[in-house]
This record gives sequence, structure tokens and C-alpha cells, in this order.
Amino acid sequence: MAVLLLTLSVLGGLLSFSLSKIVYDSIDSNLLSKATALATLVSMDVGDKTRFKFSDEITWEYNSPNARSFFQIRRLDGTTIEKSTSLGNRDLPFSKLDRQTSFEFITLGRRPARLINFHVPIENGELNMSKNKKNSLVIQCAEDIRFQVNLIKRYRIALFLSILSIVIVSTSGGFLIAHRALTPIKNISETIDKISESNLSERMSVDDIPQELRILASSFNRTFDRLEMAFIRQKQFAADASHELRTPLSVILSQSEIILRKDRTAGEYRNSLGTIKDAAIMMSEIVRKLLAIAKLSSDNVDLRFERVILSEIISESVKLLSPFAEHRGVGIDISPAKPLVVLGDRSLLSELFNNLIGNAIKYNVPNGKIYINLIKEPGLILTEIKDTGIGIPEDDLAKVFDRFYRVDKSRSRESGGSGLGLSICNEIVKLHNGRIEIKSRVDEGSTVSVYLKEDRDDTAI
Amino acid sequence: MRILIVEDEKPLADVIKQGLYEEGYAVDVAYNGEDGLFMAENEPSDLMILDIMLPIIDGMTILKKIRKKGIKSPVLMLTARDALFDKVSGLDSGADDYLTKPFLFEELLARIRALLRRSSEVKTSMIEIGDLVINMATHEVKRSGKDIPLTAKEYALLEYMALNKNKVLNRTSLTEHLYDQDFNLDSNVIDVFINRIRAKIDRGSHKGLIHTVRGAGYMLKE
Repeated sequence: MAVLLLTLSVLGGLLSFSLSKIVYDSIDSNLLSKATALATLVSMDVGDKTRFKFSDEITWEYNSPNARSFFQIRRLDGTTIEKSTSLGNRDLPFSKLDRQTSFEFITLGRRPARLINFHVPIENGELNMSKNKKNSLVIQCAEDIRFQVNLIKRYRIALFLSILSIVIVSTSGGFLIAHRALTPIKNISETIDKISESNLSERMSVDDIPQELRILASSFNRTFDRLEMAFIRQKQFAADASHELRTPLSVILSQSEIILRKDRTAGEYRNSLGTIKDAAIMMSEIVRKLLAIAKLSSDNVDLRFERVILSEIISESVKLLSPFAEHRGVGIDISPAKPLVVLGDRSLLSELFNNLIGNAIKYNVPNGKIYINLIKEPGLILTEIKDTGIGIPEDDLAKVFDRFYRVDKSRSRESGGSGLGLSICNEIVKLHNGRIEIKSRVDEGSTVSVYLKEDRDDTAI
Repeated sequence: MRILIVEDEKPLADVIKQGLYEEGYAVDVAYNGEDGLFMAENEPSDLMILDIMLPIIDGMTILKKIRKKGIKSPVLMLTARDALFDKVSGLDSGADDYLTKPFLFEELLARIRALLRRSSEVKTSMIEIGDLVINMATHEVKRSGKDIPLTAKEYALLEYMALNKNKVLNRTSLTEHLYDQDFNLDSNVIDVFINRIRAKIDRGSHKGLIHTVRGAGYMLKE
């Protein structure tokens, strides 16, 4: 606001200055031409040194009592040779200071006037316009400038008033506009303040908000959507986690209570401690995997990406799991593959394939088969793990990546399933910007497809 | 007393079964909802312990179905979530009680006793028939102030008869309520147990409490 005021004041000052300059310049040039005209007339009459004869055409302008133009012709010593009737018995102010043509503001009968002192040199009683001689006549010409002064005054007042009103209007208008613009923002902010954990689903109604703020409001709404989803997921995760831990905990509690109710044989104690140990192992496995998931799905997961030959990782997994596969009589068949390279975290990729191949063994039929295929696709490497196992019912297929989802709990519990394995696999594949899919038919088997980005730079291998 | 456990977490179901068995209950177990529903509809049981989250058919559906069929034996729901909704909808669907995992086995036993009492005329944990006193919480049996030691099965039979005192109970129903489905119903094991209990309770007493109703069965009566 201060800047606006300053700018406008400077502008106003410049405007009024230039206007008065224009007005006074035109008055001055008018006075000069009048003085020149008088000098010309004087030069014609200069022979008669005492008296000038002016024609009526010239003098009528000066001689009417209401005339606004005046002249007075003096010698250098100030004595008057001639003056206009309009002056009456007044004299134009005279000073002998210099011989230059000069302009000054004077007051004539309490009215503002502009005066020119025009020196006309005289040599040997003759006027000589071209040379600056010692002796000269002074032609004084004045003009009543009250109209012009008034005009400038009025102009300045008008300018001042308009600056003032511009400042007032723009300031108050600014406030008004700002207020109007800020009211919806204030409403938005109030709505946001009201949203908390307990009413995360509350949203701003976009229709009540001016067009230009709808983008803001809807992006806030979208942010809250995401937050709510994350919050629901967290809540669900906590609920699931506690649910999963409750069952083994119940086993431990009940088993220890029951066994302590009376004296037992060593065999009974051994059995019940075995049950308790299994439940504890189950719990620690759940906790381990929960922590893994929490770590994988947090933003600051510590990834060590390097160039990894995929078939190596898979061979290692197969080697690691082969005792388990042999125990279940499951054969694993890996198709020979070129050394395809991906950029990835070696330990996470190992975990991924351990989980997937482990599942293929776990849910296979006795003496079943597992086929592992590495297929090069444009920019991608597809790893197919196909088993001849029990398969997954269609209804369950969409949910197998959900945390704690188990297709058949009683069966998977026996084989140590926590319902977290595929969820972990999904997180790992996502961290590698890949994709994982499962196709399955009950009693025929499942095929897991993992798509990972190929690292094309083959020079290092 | 015969109890059906429907619980898909096998280790937990087995532990509960062991504990209840040792308490003298006959216990059947179903590891999924489908088997659970079948057993609830086709095997007589005095109480059901029903998990809510079950594969194939969930606990709430089983409950609604058996209540619709007119099966009135008390149902204790086991829930892993203590969400209010579970409890409310469980009780509304016809459950008599619920227990949240993890639970103390002692509490499960106490609730089972309370539910079994509720379905009989007896309203406390002490049953008195003449000078015979049965403490259902401690399984202590006294006649004329004298302790009578009983095995778990003997106690279970006596308790069942006491809860149904003054009613004639036939051999089939006694067998059904004391033995799980693995037991062969043709056995005359009930007669053997009745004789053993009678020997312990009625011996040396001027008044016998266990009555044989010819052609019908047995009755515990003052």
C-alpha cells in the first residue's frame, strides 16, 4: 500500500509539473512573441525618441480596462517611455539586474501574472536587434494568468483527489477481494483442522467452493483419500497382526495351564512342551515376517541394487530348498537360460524366489513337479514358476497377496504358512518396479509369473 | 457331557480337546466349518465351542443354521478380534457366550460349566441330591460329608445325571453325551460305569440314589 501511495505521488508530481511547464511555456512563448512584436513596432517609430505610435490593431488588446495583457516600455534607468492603458496608474515591477531577457511571476492588482523583460539594444538612437550594446530599451510585457493558475490548481486538486481515491479504492478493494478470496480458503482450512483420526473420511464438498479453489480442495481431498487408505491399511495390519498372534498365544496359554493342572509323566510334559515350542516358533515366524513387511513397505528401505544374474539366484534357491523338495518327493525342473541380468537387491531377490519355490513345493502333491522358466521379453525378464500342486480356487486368487490371507488355513498351518509369504513377495517385486501374477486351477496347479526389468548393459558380464 | 469344538487352528483345537477330555468331557473336533455344521446337526452335543473365522462356512453362519434347525445346546463363541461387532452379532445370532483369544483355560472351563448349568435346572456350581454334594468347579463329590474319589469319566457320568436329576436317561443318550463320535455305541460300558459309581456312592448308605428304571435307563433321584 505504501508502495502504491509513493508511486502514485511521484507520478502525480511529475504530471502536475509537466502540465504547469507546458502551460507556462506556452504563456512565455506568447509573451515573447508579443514583446518581439512590440519591439518591431518600437523600431519603426524609433526616430521619434519620445513617443511611439501603435496602431489600434496592436493596442486594443492592451487598452481595454478589462484587458488581461499589459506592457510597459522603459529605458535602462527605469524611466517609463510608454505603457498600456490596461495598466492604468500601476507600473510593472522593474529591476535593473541584468540585460538578459527574463521571465518572472508577479502579482498585478492581486492577480497572478507572468512578466517578460525584453531588452532591445539601441545604438546612436537607433534600435539594433542584432547586437548587444550598452544602451537598450526594456520592453516589459505581462499577462494575467489567473485562469491558467486556476486551471493548474484545479488540475492538482483533481490529481490529488484521484490519487487519494485510487489509493482508498484499491486498498479497500484489495481487502475486500482478499477477504472474499480468503473466506473459502479459511473454510477449507477449518475443514482440514476438523479432520482427525476419528473422522478421516470427512471431505470438503467441492461444489461450495469457488471454481479457482476447487483444484486445491480436490487435491486436499485426494490427499486425505490417500491418508485414509494408508490409515485403514495400518489399522487392518495391526488388527490382522494381533489376530494372527492370538491363536498361537492361546495355544501356549491353554497348553501350559492344562499341563500344570496335575502331575504328568515325562512323555506328557515333552509333548506339551513340543506343542508350546511349535506355537512359539509360529509366533516368532509371524513377527519376523511382519517386521520384514513393515521394513519393505516403509519409505526408507535400505536397498543395495546391483547387477544380478537371475538364473544364479534361482539355482541357489532351488539348491537351498532341494532337501525339502526331496522330502516331499517333488521334482524341480529348470529350463536352461542365458545369463539374464536384472538390477536388484540380491538378498531380497533370494527371499522372493525362496518364498515362491517354497510355496510351489509346499502346496504340491506328493511326487509332483515344478517347472521354472526364464523367458526374455522386450526389456523384461519373465520368470515362470509352474507347479502341479493343489491349485488355488478362483475366489481366493485375487486375495492371495493380501497380508495374512491363507487359502486353507488348517492345511497351510501344518506346513508352516503364515499368510505373509506372497505379501512379502509382492512388496519385493514392487520395490524392483516389477510385477507378479498368479494363474491357477484347482487340482492342476499354479503358475506364478514374475516380471523384472532387464538390465541391458551387457558389457560388465 | 459332550462338547463339540469347531476350530480351524489345529494346534489350538487339539489343546482344548486335551484339556476338556481330562476334565471328563467327551470332545468332538471339527477343523472347518463344513464338518462343524455337519457334526452339530447330526451328533448330539451338550455344548459347542465355535470359532467365528472358519474356512468354507464361517462360525456365524453355522450358528444361524443350527438355531434355525432348533438345536438349542449352548454355544460359546471364540473370537480373535475383540471388536464389538463380533460380540454383538455373535450374541444376536444365538450364541450364549463368547471368549476372546487369547484366553485362560480356567476361564473357558468356568464358562463351559456356567453354560451347562444354565441349560439344566441347577443354577449353582454345587448340586445337592439328598446328602450327595457335587462341586462342579472342583469335581469334588461328597456323600454325608465323606469324600468320594471318582475317575474323570465316572465323575462326568455322575455330573450329567445330576444336571438331569429326576429324569430317566436311557443308555443311548448317556453314551452320546459322555462319549465322542469315535466311541462304539453298542457297548454296555454305561452299565459298567453305573455299577462302579453306585458302588462308590450308594455303598454303606441306607438309601440308594441311582435308580435303575427297567427297560428305560437310569435316574439320579433322592
